[in-house]
Amino acid sequence: MKRLLRQMALSVLIVSVFSVIGFSQYTVTGLVTDQSGEPLIGVSVLVQGTTTGTITEIDGTYTIDVLSDPANLEFNYLGYATSTLEVSSDSNLANLSMTESASRLDEVVITGLATTVKRSNLANAVARVNAQDLVGIASQSTLEGALYGKFKGAEIKANSGAPGGGVAFKLRGVTSINGSSQPLIILDGVYIDNSSIPGGLNLVSAAGAGGSTSNQDNPSNRLADIDPNDIESVEILKGASAAAIYGSRAAGGVVILTTKRGKSGKTRISFGQSVGKTSQLRKLGVRQWTEEKVLGSNFADDIDNFRAGQIHNYEDELYGSGGSLFNTRLSVSGGDDKTKFFIGGSYKNEEGIVSKTGYKKTSVRINLDHKISDLFTATLSSNYISSSADRGFFNNDNSGNTIGISFTSTPSWAQLQPNDAGVYPSNPYAPSNFLETAALITNNESVGRFIGGGSITGKILQTDKSSLKAVFRGGIDFYNLSTSAIFPNSLQFQRDGAGLNGASVQGFTKNLNSNLALFLVHNQYLDNGMSFTTSAGVTQEDFNQNTILGEATDLIGSQTNLDQAGSRNVTQNRRIQQDKGFFAQEEVNYKDMIVATVGFRGDKSSNNGDVKKLFFYPKANVAINLQNFNFWNSASPITQFKVRAAYGESGNFARFGSKFTTLNSTIVDGRAGVFTPSLLGNITVGPERQKELEVGIDLEINRRFSFDATYYIKSVEDLLLEARVPTSSGFSSQVTNAASLQNKGIELGLELGLVSSQDFNWNARIGFWKNTSEVTDLAVPAFTTGGFADFLGNHLIKEGFSPTTLIGVGPNPTIALNEGDTPSLQEFGNAEADFQMSWANNISYNNFDLSFIWHWKKGGSNINLSTLLFDLNNTTHDFDDITLDPEGVLGNGAYRLSLLGSNTEPYIEDSGYIRLREIGLYYTLPSSLIPGGGTFKIGFSGTNLINIFDYNSYDPEVSNFGANGLSNAVEVTPFPSSKRFDFHIKADF
Amino acid sequence: MIKYIIPFFLILSVASCDIEDLSNPNGSSIAGFDKDATKSSLQTLVTGIEDLLRQDVGFYYDVVSIVGREYYFFTGSDPRYTGEVLGKGQSQLDNAGFYGTRPFSGRYRTVKTANVLIDGATNSSLITPADLNGYLGYAKTMQAYELHLVANLQFENGIRLDVSDPQNLSDFVSYQESLAGIQSLLDEGASNLGAAGGSFPFSLSGAMTDFSDPSSFLGFNRGISARIALYQGNKSDALSKLSSSFMDMGGDLNVGPARFYSSAGGDFNNNLFRTPDQADAIIVHPSLIADATAGDARLSKVLLRQSGTLTLDGLSGDYDVFVYKSLTDFVPFIRNEELILINAEANIGGNNGAAIAAINVIRNAAGIGDYSGGMDDASLINEVLYQRRYSLLGEAHRWVDMRRLGKLGDLPIDREGDDVWVQFPRPVTEN
Repeated sequence: MKRLLRQMALSVLIVSVFSVIGFSQYTVTGLVTDQSGEPLIGVSVLVQGTTTGTITEIDGTYTIDVLSDPANLEFNYLGYATSTLEVSSDSNLANLSMTESASRLDEVVITGLATTVKRSNLANAVARVNAQDLVGIASQSTLEGALYGKFKGAEIKANSGAPGGGVAFKLRGVTSINGSSQPLIILDGVYIDNSSIPGGLNLVSAAGAGGSTSNQDNPSNRLADIDPNDIESVEILKGASAAAIYGSRAAGGVVILTTKRGKSGKTRISFGQSVGKTSQLRKLGVRQWTEEKVLGSNFADDIDNFRAGQIHNYEDELYGSGGSLFNTRLSVSGGDDKTKFFIGGSYKNEEGIVSKTGYKKTSVRINLDHKISDLFTATLSSNYISSSADRGFFNNDNSGNTIGISFTSTPSWAQLQPNDAGVYPSNPYAPSNFLETAALITNNESVGRFIGGGSITGKILQTDKSSLKAVFRGGIDFYNLSTSAIFPNSLQFQRDGAGLNGASVQGFTKNLNSNLALFLVHNQYLDNGMSFTTSAGVTQEDFNQNTILGEATDLIGSQTNLDQAGSRNVTQNRRIQQDKGFFAQEEVNYKDMIVATVGFRGDKSSNNGDVKKLFFYPKANVAINLQNFNFWNSASPITQFKVRAAYGESGNFARFGSKFTTLNSTIVDGRAGVFTPSLLGNITVGPERQKELEVGIDLEINRRFSFDATYYIKSVEDLLLEARVPTSSGFSSQVTNAASLQNKGIELGLELGLVSSQDFNWNARIGFWKNTSEVTDLAVPAFTTGGFADFLGNHLIKEGFSPTTLIGVGPNPTIALNEGDTPSLQEFGNAEADFQMSWANNISYNNFDLSFIWHWKKGGSNINLSTLLFDLNNTTHDFDDITLDPEGVLGNGAYRLSLLGSNTEPYIEDSGYIRLREIGLYYTLPSSLIPGGGTFKIGFSGTNLINIFDYNSYDPEVSNFGANGLSNAVEVTPFPSSKRFDFHIKADF
Repeated sequence: MIKYIIPFFLILSVASCDIEDLSNPNGSSIAGFDKDATKSSLQTLVTGIEDLLRQDVGFYYDVVSIVGREYYFFTGSDPRYTGEVLGKGQSQLDNAGFYGTRPFSGRYRTVKTANVLIDGATNSSLITPADLNGYLGYAKTMQAYELHLVANLQFENGIRLDVSDPQNLSDFVSYQESLAGIQSLLDEGASNLGAAGGSFPFSLSGAMTDFSDPSSFLGFNRGISARIALYQGNKSDALSKLSSSFMDMGGDLNVGPARFYSSAGGDFNNNLFRTPDQADAIIVHPSLIADATAGDARLSKVLLRQSGTLTLDGLSGDYDVFVYKSLTDFVPFIRNEELILINAEANIGGNNGAAIAAINVIRNAAGIGDYSGGMDDASLINEVLYQRRYSLLGEAHRWVDMRRLGKLGDLPIDREGDDVWVQFPRPVTEN
C-alpha cells in the first residue's frame, strides 16, 4: 500500500508541476500589524479557494506566490478578526492592520480526528474554554475545578471537598444508568485515563458492608493530575452529534484538551506566583446545648459531664485549620521558523481545611514543533506530573469511625483534645476521636505520571487546488499510583482489641494507555467555490491497568510495612481492553455559505461480548451561513446568521468484565477456595448507543453582540443496566442492554460587548441551560437504585419517569414498582436542576481588570443523609429551631426524626444555589515602569466567595458515590467544601 | 479517485485484523468445572462453600436476634437496626432493605456454589463412586442447612427449593412444603453420606474437626434434620433423627460443627464478635437480664458495660452481648446443647420424665439446679423455652421458637408503635 501511495503521489505531483507552468504566477508581499502598528508574528495568510498559504515572519512580513489574478488573501490570527484583502498582479503589496476581536467566530474548533473547522462554520454547539477563562481569573487546584460554570450543558459535581479533586461530569443529562457517564478525555491526541481508584479504606470504614456495595472510598479522579496552567483550550463535545467520530467511547461526551505551544518569534517568559488561604465554604454551626436540652436528649444520662465539661465548637476545631495555598508557575516559549518550543513548569502546595490534609503537585511540560522539511512536520508533547494528595477519612461508613460520622455523634461537651504527652483520650460518644483520627491517620494518593504524544504530518501531494496529507499520531499515558491508608493501632478504634489492631492498606496501580492512529486528509477546491475535505483513518487504543492492594492488619507496634503485621491479605485487579476503529468523513464547504459533513466510525472492542462485531456510528451535519448569501448588503450589522443541524451516534462500553462469570477466590483455614460471584456474566453484552439530534442558530451583530440557541434530543438505546436477577439464583445482578432514555434540552448564550472604548471595556457572557430526562423504555421491572434504601431516598428507574427522580416513602405514595401493586413510593424531587445560568464579566478600566462569574442553579434535589446522622445523634445545628413542623411544636431535629421511616421528605432537599464562582481583580503596572518591556500584573482572586443556598449542609454540590453513572445526589458526611482567596503576581516578558 | 480508494484500503486493513478475545484476567470461570474436574479443583469449591457459609451470616444472626428481642444493635451508621427492624412508629420492613436481602442472597449463594460442586463431581470421571457420594452428601447437607435459614426468615412467604438453573428457578412453595423439601434434601444427603466410604475425598477447616468424615458428618446432618422435624411439629420424627445425630447427654454442650474464623491474611474475622464497651454496640435486651436466674453460668454471654448505660433512638441497655469472645471464635451451625433441648421438647407430651431429665442436664450445666416447676405439658414447654432463651442466646433461635409456638405476642415491646415482625418480606428481586 505504501508503494501504491508513493506512485500516486508521484503521478499527481507531475500533473501539478505541469499545471503550475500553465498559469501566470505573481508574488504578493506585505506587512501585518496590530492596531498600534506592532508587527504580528505567525499570522496565517491563505489564498482563498486554494491550498496556498504561509505565515508572517518575525518582523510581521510575508511573501506569497499567487496564481489567480485577482485573488483574495485571507488573514487569520487568534484573538483578531479574520480579514480579507483583494490582490492582483498590479496591486501586489498588501499591508494589513488587524483588529482585535472578542468574537469567538474566528476560533478554530477541532471537529474531526484530524480536521478542524472555524467556529463560524461549525454545525455543533461545541463549548470552548480558553486559557484566560480557565485560569486567568482565579487559581484552581485542579483542571476540572476550573471548568465549573464556564460552559453550557454541564453539571459538575464534586465527590467531596477533599484536596486533590474527584468530580463527576454530566454533559447534557444522564447518559447511562449503570455504565459511566464520564466523558472521554483527550489531551493533545492522547487518550487520558480518568479512573477513580479506591485506596481500600473500606477495610476500616466497612462502608460497603451495609446496604450498598458501591465504592465509597472517595478517591480522586485522575484528570486532576493535569495542570490547568498548561491548557491553551478546552473543547467540550457534549453529545453524539459532535462526538460520533470518537465512536464507542464518546457517549458521555468528549473533552479535548489542547496544551500551549510555542510561537515563532521572541522568546517569551511567563511567571506567576500566588499565595492564598482556604477556609470552610459554609459553617453550619453546632447545636447550642442547655441543661434542659441535654436532659431531653440521648445524652440525658450524661448530664454530669455536660455540667462539668468545657464546651467546644468542634466544627471550628476540626474544619477551621484554614490551610495556606501556594502556587508557582513558570513557562518559556518561543522558536524560529523551523522549531518552536514551550517549556512550562508549575509547583503547587495547598493545604486543606482539615489538619494534615493537602495537595501537592509538580508538573513539567515540554512541547516541541519542528518543520523537518517543506513536506514533513513533527510535533511532540510531553508532560511529567508528580502529585500527592492527603485526603482525610470521610464519607459513609458502617463502623462509626470516619471523621465525619464520628463528628455527628459527639456532643460539644466531649473532651477530645490530647494531653500534654500528645495522647488523645477516647471519645465516649463515638467509636473514634475525630481529632485523633485527623491527626494520626494517613490517606494519601501519590502519582507519578508521564503523558506523551507526538505526530508526524507529511504532505503527500500538493497542487494549487488540492492537497493530501497523512498524519501519523500516537501517544501514551503512563502512571504509577500509590495509595496509602494507614490506621495506626494507637487510634481509639484500633487499640486495645478494638477494630483490626491497626491497619495499613497499600495500593499500587500501574496504568498504561496507548493509542496509535493514521489519518489521511485530502482537500480539494473547485473553481465554483466548492471545497471538499475528505478524511479517513484507522485507530487503535490499548488500555492496561493493574491494581494491587495489600492489606495488613494486626500491625506490629507502629510499623506500617505490609509484612510488619499479624495478618496480611492481597487483592489484584486487572483491566485489559483493546479497541480498534476506523472512520471516514467528508466535509463540503460552498463559499462558507453551506458547510455540510457526513461521516461514520466503525469500532470493535475486546470488551464487547462478541469481539469480532463491528459497531457503526454515523454522523451528518450542516451549517448555513445566511449572512454570506448576500441577502443583506455589506453594511448590514449582521455579521453572522447561521442555522445549523447535526446528528450523530456514539456508544458506551459495558463496565469491564461484564461478560464474564468469574469465580471469586477466598481462603479458609489456609486453604484456597472459589465461589460463585454476585455478577452473572452476559456473553451478549454490547455497548450503549446514543443518538443525538441538535439544531441551533448563531447570530452576531457588529461583531459585538452575539446570541446562540441550541435544542437537542439525545436518546440512549440499549442502555446498560445491572439488572437485578432473583438472588435465589445465587447471583444478584447481570449487566444487560435493557432500557432506553431520552434527554431533551436547550442551551442559550448571549455575549455582549457592552462597552468598548479606549480605557473602558466591559464584556459579559450569559449562559442558560436546561435538560430533562425520561426513561422511555425499560425491559426489566422498575427498580430503585443509587441510594441506600427507599426510606432514605433513592433514584427511581421506571418507564415514563426521569432517571434522576428521587423517591422515598411518604404519606401519599403514588408510585408502585410493579403494575398493579399498591403504590408504596412517593416522589420528592429530582436530582436534575430546573435550569442553570452563568453570568461571566470581564471589565477593564485603564490598568484595572475585574472579572467575575456568577453561577445559578435553580432547583434540583439532594439526599442529605448528613443531617439524618446528626439528627439521630441529637447533635444537628438546627435541632432546636422550629421551622419545619407545621404544628410549630417540634424542633427540627425531633420533627425530622418523627418522620423517619414513614416520610423521607425532610431529608430530600433543594440543592439549588447561587454562587460567585470566581472573582479576580488585577492591576497591570504601566509599561513605562517595566524596564525592558513586558507586562507585570498584581491582583487578588477568590473562588466560591459568595454562596447562597438553602441546602442544610456544607455544600449542595457533593455526592457520596463518586463518578457512578447515576448516583450523584447522595450526601453522607463528606469532607466539607472550601472557598479560597489568593494574591497573585504575574509577569510576562 | 484517490479519495475513494484510500478509505477503502484502510477499511480493508482494519477489517482484516481482529481483536483477541481476552479471557478475564481476574479469576477463573465457572465453565472450568463442566467436565472431569479433579479432586483438587473440587476441593476449592468445598472450601468456597465453607467460606460462603459465613458470608453475610452476621446479618442473619443480627436480625433474628433483634426481632426476637434478644439484643439491640446500636450504631451511628445505620438507623434501620433500631428503626424498621423493630417496627418503630409507622415504619415497615423494606423488601429492598439489606437486613432482609443480604441474608437471603448470601444463603442462596452457598446453594449455587454447592450446585456447581454437585455438577462438577457428577460430571467428573476422575473420582470414584464413593468419592462422588462424599461430595454429594456434603453439598446437599449444606444446601439444606442454608435453605432452612432462608425459610426461617421468609416463613409463610416460602422459599424456592430448586435453583440450579438461573434461567428457570422453581416456584416459591409454602412454608410447610419448604420444610418438607429441606428434609428430603437432608435425607438424600444422608443416604449419600452412608455410601461415601470411610473418609471424604476433601478436607474441611479446623472448625469441622469432629465432623470431617462421612459418618460423623452424618451426625450433623441428622441433627439439623431433628431441628427441622421440631419446626414441622413432628416430635416422634425429631426423636428418631436425634438418635442418629451427634447428641450426647453426658458430653460437652458446646460440641458442634462450626464456621471457621481466623485473623490470618485473606481469611475472615468473626464479625459477630464486638469489642465490649464501644459506642457502636450489640446491647442485650433488658428483659433478658431482668428474667435471668441468679447464678446462671450462661450469663457469661453478657457483659456489664464499664462505661454505663448506652442509649440510642429511645432504647437503652447496660450489657454488651458477649457470646463470642474474640475475632477468631468459631460460630457453630448447631451444638450438642440444642440437640439435648430438642430432645427435651420432643419428649414433652410423650415422655415428660425424659423431658425433665434432658432439661436437668442443661440446668445443671448452667449451675441453677434441677427443675422444680409444674409437670404439665404447658409448664414444661415454657421451661424449655426459658432454657433455650439462655442456652442459645445470640444464636438466632428465640424469634423462631416463639413464632412456631404461637407466642410472638409475648415478646416485649419497648416503644409505643414498635412491631414484632412475623416474617421478612420476600426480596424485591424475586418478584
